[in-house]
Amino acid sequence: MASKARVAPPPVKGTDPLAGSVLAHQPELLDAFLRLYGTLWSRGVLDHVTKEIARIRNARITGCNYCRNVRFAEARRQGLSEEMVTLVDEGFGESQLSERHKAAIRYADAFLIDPHGLREPLRAELLRHFSPAEMVELTAGLALFMGFSKIAVVLGQEPETMPTTVVPTPDVPG
Amino acid sequence: MSWLPASAPGTTSLDRVFGLRPELYEQYREFAELFWRLRVVDPVLLELCRLRVAALLGCARELELRRPEAAGAGLGEKKIAALDDWRRSSVFSPVERACLAFAEKFVLEPHGLSDEDAAAVSAHLSAAEMVAFTEALALFDGFARFQILLGVAPEPAPDARVQQ
Repeated sequence: MASKARVAPPPVKGTDPLAGSVLAHQPELLDAFLRLYGTLWSRGVLDHVTKEIARIRNARITGCNYCRNVRFAEARRQGLSEEMVTLVDEGFGESQLSERHKAAIRYADAFLIDPHGLREPLRAELLRHFSPAEMVELTAGLALFMGFSKIAVVLGQEPETMPTTVVPTPDVPG
Repeated sequence: MSWLPASAPGTTSLDRVFGLRPELYEQYREFAELFWRLRVVDPVLLELCRLRVAALLGCARELELRRPEAAGAGLGEKKIAALDDWRRSSVFSPVERACLAFAEKFVLEPHGLSDEDAAAVSAHLSAAEMVAFTEALALFDGFARFQILLGVAPEPAPDARVQQ
């Protein structure tokens, strides 16, 4: 556990949760990341609710307090309620979540916990619910969700407490 | 072979899978290439960590690839072969050892990374370099898993092994 922040905040700390974070120490990398993350969220083929469920599952398994408490606005608008978010937890398999969302959670778990453990019948089930392009987008999303929540963990950037906070969905800048 | 019942045009196995989302793939490549182009972090250090992450996760394709920037900066196959047992090897510098230990914790147990582990790296890297280093680890870790999950296999021909 980080007992304190391991990298100090950037000289000019903005209000945007990503642009105002320690990532601002590297402006050129930050710009490229924001284009990638905006493309993932707002120029994609996979629905926002599924992506948000995968992001929340990562937040819980990777254990990122910031990621766990943030909600993206477009997923809310497309129908992801807080009641559904609480189901993305132990026992999700027997919950009221749809089979499509349960398949996405099982896939996220394989990605995060046992990457070589993805086998049938889960592959066939995924292909019943998602197109190949949607699978690529979901997997790239998991790579970024996991990678950047680990950055927050290892650099000691997580808030100790934080209320559930709805923020604008990332989009490609300007 | 990827288990996805579709593939995109392209010369590498990653092109044929990731290319199914062309705009996303383009933005990914632009971001990932910046770490090698900007040289914020020494390419030898980055390459050692990329290969160590790939070995920990068992990503065959990443293990076979070599970054020309690292070879150009003097990284040879002998040192790469020593990576499997780097803790007992004498060929790695203090900064390389600190970064390899950090990279392993990043992949396997990020919450187990101690203040001492972080301080060992920040003794050698500035805050800005540390941010670039951890972002590179996030991509190595995340996109090695991407290739494993989607069955992106090693390239068949040796001359296809050098990344563009």
